[in-house]
Amino acid sequence: MKTLSRMKKVFALAMTLVLAGTLSASAAATPAVNSAAIDPAAIGALQKMGTYLRTLSAFQIEAAVQKELVLENGLKVQLEEAVSLVTRRPDRLMLKVSSERKEREFFYDGRQFTLWAPRVNSYATVVAPPTIRELIIKLEEKFGIEMPLVDLFKWGTEESNIKDITVAMELGTAKIGGADCNQYGFRQEGLDWQIWIQNGNYPLPRKLVLTTTTDEARPQHQAVLTWNLAPVFIDKDFTFEPPANAQRIVFAQPAK
Amino acid sequence: MNRTLRMMKLLLALAVALLITVEPALAAGAAVRTGSRSTVNRSGNVNANVNRNANVNRNTNVNRDLNVNRDIDIDVDVDHDHHGYGYGYHHPVGAAIVTAAVIGAILYEPPPTYTVVIVDGVTYYQSGSTWYQPQFNGTTTTYVVVASPR
Repeated sequence: MKTLSRMKKVFALAMTLVLAGTLSASAAATPAVNSAAIDPAAIGALQKMGTYLRTLSAFQIEAAVQKELVLENGLKVQLEEAVSLVTRRPDRLMLKVSSERKEREFFYDGRQFTLWAPRVNSYATVVAPPTIRELIIKLEEKFGIEMPLVDLFKWGTEESNIKDITVAMELGTAKIGGADCNQYGFRQEGLDWQIWIQNGNYPLPRKLVLTTTTDEARPQHQAVLTWNLAPVFIDKDFTFEPPANAQRIVFAQPAK
Repeated sequence: MNRTLRMMKLLLALAVALLITVEPALAAGAAVRTGSRSTVNRSGNVNANVNRNANVNRNTNVNRDLNVNRDIDIDVDVDHDHHGYGYGYHHPVGAAIVTAAVIGAILYEPPPTYTVVIVDGVTYYQSGSTWYQPQFNGTTTTYVVVASPR
């Protein structure tokens, strides 16, 4: 009799443990998006910045960029480049990316898009859609070209992926380039990122750090931005004039 | 006699083992497995694999990560111009030519010797009977073996 009741107790204990184990296992197995991890103030700041960016009819940016490559042996290599961008919405864009190793210039005048590689003296030109927004899509989907600073044209539009954010936090204040900024951190699939948004009437992004989380080495991409909201330019700046001996080449296209 | 034979077998085995384990010196610079992503708002439609599968002479690491800025090799995405600028600490001169006759093969440097031929306004490099078409793959300059355009 005693043995039976003892067995019952042991059995009950065992079942409780198993049940507890299963519950906690299932809780860990399905990491639901924790809405408490999303600070609405951080999302709000991002949206306010995006809305403001959309009001800008023209701007010029100088960006100091650091990016990282991870080699097969796990070594991380840091490279630097300088990006200059001038744009007049909706259909003028000129962008220059330069580093010790590589120089590229992007020209868009509402009708044509040209990529120019000055040091190898080669350029390619294609017919372009009538707006920067459509151009960006074409460059990405058809030619695999992701423009530097392209996020500046996506925040505040349908191409912004705020809905993919799973963590949003306020991280305090900092001065970037002499401007008082609020720092925010975000997480989405494959990417953790931070942004420093200027305080006051010009909520501009002043610094960005993107951490790729798909590789254990977690390479980072950093950009520090300087803005000019009253750029001076002429229309010719957005059209590429090939030098006499420049070689015209083509864009590779994906196999159908 | 038996002992000598055994010694020889041992030596032979050792030699074979050495041959197998000694890796050929990598002709290229270190291959890149991941590049830092530079864009927050990505639609997922970025075509990251334009022509990547026809890659000759490089580590064909078909990485599903949609990172278009991942250079296949750290000295691939370097301007190989005539002034000697650019980092390129290794130039596999000539190494590419042997297997380059396959149409669709991709080089990341121009062939060591070639003539520039313009057909219909588009530039080709002709090297013997092999035709190369310089292309931008993303923003990387590549030289793809193509059929004769004439």
